[in-house]
Amino acid sequence: MPMDDRPEADLAQHSRFPPRNGSLRRQLLIWVLLPQLVLWGAGGVATYRLAVNYVNQAADATLSQASRALARRVKPIGSGLLIDFPRAAQDILETDPNDRLFYMVSTPPGEFVLGNSNLPMPPKEMRPRLDAPYFYDGEIAAPDEPGQSGGGPGAVVKARIAALYLTYGEPDGQQQWMLVQVARGMAPREDLFKMILIDTLLPMSALIPLLTMIVWVGTGAGLKPLLRLRKEVEGRSPVDLAPLHVESAPQEVRSLVRALNELLASVRQNVNAQKRFIADAAHQLRTPLAGLKSQTALAMAATRDPELLARLRLVDQSAARGAHLISQLLMLARADPDAAAASEMAPLDVVPFVREIVAEFVPRAMRAQVDLGMDDLPDQPEPLRINAVALLLREALINVIDNAVKYTGGGGVITVQVRPDGGDVLIVVSDNGPGIAQGDRARVFERFVRVTDQGEGCGLGLAIVRDIVALHGGSVTLDGAQPHGLQVALRLPRL
Amino acid sequence: MQLLLAEDDPILANGLIAQLNGAGFTVEHAPNGPVAEFLLGRQNFDIAILDLGLPMIDGLSVLKTLRATRPDLPVVVLTALDKLDSRVAGLNAGADDYMTKPFDFPELEARLRAVLRRARPGAAQHDVAVPGLHFDRATRRAVVDGEPVELSPREATLLELLMAQFEKVVTKEQIAAAWSGDGGEVGGGNTAEVHIHRLRRKLEGSGLEIRTVRGLGYLLATEHAHGRPA
Repeated sequence: MPMDDRPEADLAQHSRFPPRNGSLRRQLLIWVLLPQLVLWGAGGVATYRLAVNYVNQAADATLSQASRALARRVKPIGSGLLIDFPRAAQDILETDPNDRLFYMVSTPPGEFVLGNSNLPMPPKEMRPRLDAPYFYDGEIAAPDEPGQSGGGPGAVVKARIAALYLTYGEPDGQQQWMLVQVARGMAPREDLFKMILIDTLLPMSALIPLLTMIVWVGTGAGLKPLLRLRKEVEGRSPVDLAPLHVESAPQEVRSLVRALNELLASVRQNVNAQKRFIADAAHQLRTPLAGLKSQTALAMAATRDPELLARLRLVDQSAARGAHLISQLLMLARADPDAAAASEMAPLDVVPFVREIVAEFVPRAMRAQVDLGMDDLPDQPEPLRINAVALLLREALINVIDNAVKYTGGGGVITVQVRPDGGDVLIVVSDNGPGIAQGDRARVFERFVRVTDQGEGCGLGLAIVRDIVALHGGSVTLDGAQPHGLQVALRLPRL
Repeated sequence: MQLLLAEDDPILANGLIAQLNGAGFTVEHAPNGPVAEFLLGRQNFDIAILDLGLPMIDGLSVLKTLRATRPDLPVVVLTALDKLDSRVAGLNAGADDYMTKPFDFPELEARLRAVLRRARPGAAQHDVAVPGLHFDRATRRAVVDGEPVELSPREATLLELLMAQFEKVVTKEQIAAAWSGDGGEVGGGNTAEVHIHRLRRKLEGSGLEIRTVRGLGYLLATEHAHGRPA
């Protein structure tokens, strides 16, 4: 029986342990995957920034070279400047529409001399120094040249700018400051950054699901012994209190299994003590009942008063019912799988076994004016054998026949039949009594439930039958008979 | 008839003594194991009733001690246990019979008589009788209502079997086994039915009838006393 069928109340009792952290696997997954993801993300960011840094450095080096080359082309002549900048070189610098170079020469710094006048000045906080270029980012209003791609009027191009301060003029005379700026559009570099980003993210996004899968499968494999343990517990019959196998449990949960086994052992002890108590109590009750019967019989023999006699007869009946109830209670305690495990199962030939019991019962049936008999079975090639505790199975069958005799009443006909059915042996007891209403058929197996006020049963008979048959790995079914009556079938696995 | 009753429950013992006296037994009562052993050693009883749960020395121990000195004394054990209990299974070695409490006195008396009968072989050996019918084992003749009835050997065997198991089912297998013990070939098919049919006619007017029990066999019982004829 799966544990999930247990009533909710069981769970509520353990509310000290809230049901969070339900799955160990989920816990493991979160703890393994989440830090990985965070660390991978951080690694990705670091890689990206490093790559961007190197790209910038390389680009800055190029700009620096360009600014020096341009500076060398500017030669002072007297108080003026000679700029030896061939048209062809200018064309080369400015033609590539996607990777545009801008330049500006100004002297003194800020006074435009040559190039593109839109280049922004270096930030004020940069203190001028000679011969070492500054680098900074800026925006350049795009020059409105024909054929310019993406540059409408007023379009702005983000650019990286190198600024180089130089002096010219005689070393002893008045020196003049000159600023050479070279700028390059950021667009190609941003393309490069994008590529780096994609190259970093793509393998990562492929690796993350892969890693998740590996971790999932791995935790699954690692938790398999636990799952096996769970199945062992779940697959148990609720009365099976035998200890769990410690060896089959993984090292980490062995102490848990041991604790569980200790609990099982104490429950087992409790159950056994209780069963012993029931059995002992039943035994102890039988002797006073015997005394009661004996004294009642003597009293009945001693009196001639009809009223007293009638009352004594009721006392005697009461004692008989008490005795019956005690026997049934004892039998119920015996039919328990734990108790019955002590009695050995042995192969049993069903036909002669049933025949003997029915034959034994015939005189009693006759006294109740009931015609009890057997349906002759066509000759079987092999005997119908089952594994059984003969004394218990006998008790079960006697209970069924006894019920039939009690409830069928005078003039009734009861027929017992044994027949093979698939891999099972069926013992069917049919009567032509009032039967049991469809709705009541499940209920009559419950203890102390009686669906009729007829007869003098204690309501334990069918519970005993069910317990004993279940002990033999079989089942009991109740069916109606035509035109009326009940058919009780005991199905037992054939050997 | 000297009888020892070893039973510790005073009310049951009191009732049993009265009932046993009424049935013609002279009863000595032992309320515990040591007294039972003492009385058994001192007196020559004809039969003993031992309760299994005696104080101080239990019935089973008393029985074992007794068997060492009196292996032939008929003993019926009273027990609150039933035959599913292993302790009862252990009884078979020492006791001649046992009864589970509570019981009806007539049944206890019948068992006591049966045990006594078995202990005295020879008595009533060749006479089997049921109400209205007498069977002489020596001559193998039946007497119905004072009138002798001639029986064939097979019919005699059959009737003897039915009478021995009066009001109990005699199976076809038992009949076949009894006939094969007589020697001669055992006919198959409906032989038993044929002989039963003849016996029925010979028993007419005896107040007895042989009933057919479906699928099992036959049963000798008082006519019309129980239910309808099968």
